[in-house]
Amino acid sequence: MKSNLVPGQAENSPERRQCILVVEDEVLIRFMISDALREAGYDVIEAFNGDEAVDLLNVATPVDLILSDVRMPGAIDGLELLKIAKQRLPTVPVILTSGHLDPRVATTEGATHFLPKPYVIDKALGLVRMELKSRK
Amino acid sequence: MTDVYDPAHDVGAILIVDGDILSRHAIADYLRHCGYVVVEAASTDEALAALVEVSLSIDVILCEIEAIGSRSGFELAQWVRDNHPDLEVRIAGSLPAAADTAAELCENGPHLARPYEPQAVVDYIKRLRAGRARENSAPPK
Repeated sequence: MKSNLVPGQAENSPERRQCILVVEDEVLIRFMISDALREAGYDVIEAFNGDEAVDLLNVATPVDLILSDVRMPGAIDGLELLKIAKQRLPTVPVILTSGHLDPRVATTEGATHFLPKPYVIDKALGLVRMELKSRK
Repeated sequence: MTDVYDPAHDVGAILIVDGDILSRHAIADYLRHCGYVVVEAASTDEALAALVEVSLSIDVILCEIEAIGSRSGFELAQWVRDNHPDLEVRIAGSLPAAADTAAELCENGPHLARPYEPQAVVDYIKRLRAGRARENSAPPK
């Protein structure tokens, strides 16, 4: 990631805004939640699936929270992404969202929170705010 | 940032169609910081889903020539020209790859280089929208 493309966004700058990685294969849902998070003052990186998310993590992009769907096309689903994130970024909270997964599975696997789908944008925003506020 | 947000240019959203998250995010983020509304699509299928959602008000599409999905970048451009002639669609790609594909499809070559040069993309969008604004304000012949 060439974050120097955007002036004022230096990776270790004290002014760096908290960055959320949104992983969602439904383009409209991804756009809506990402737009709401940006409106709330966060930087957002949008990934179409787990594979893209891992591509991003591979270039050491600073991510403060991951909000990920579970069922997605590609080799890496949300649960696999959770495992990878916990290994590479053990302090980064991961919120999983799904319309199919048993919430107990998400928490057993180590997700910080589970958000059932369909979800209200404000509910997702509230969870993100709560989680990131406690880590500032 | 050399570019200043001009609300006059904020007339619609820009759809970026690019299968490489690093390229897509970099140019999308730059455009957002310039004040544009940007929709990101990782494939031509996602682009089509975004295009049928009229509330997004997309008016400019930048599409990678080798975009993944059921349609190529050129095929998406052709579909847009056939079904949404009011939208501006531009292909981005490396020149050798674009020339080969363009020859096969009897299409024009790419309009933008990829990797993207962010400020060049902003200038390009401004020119596109300014040209269209002039066309719309011209008296009927």
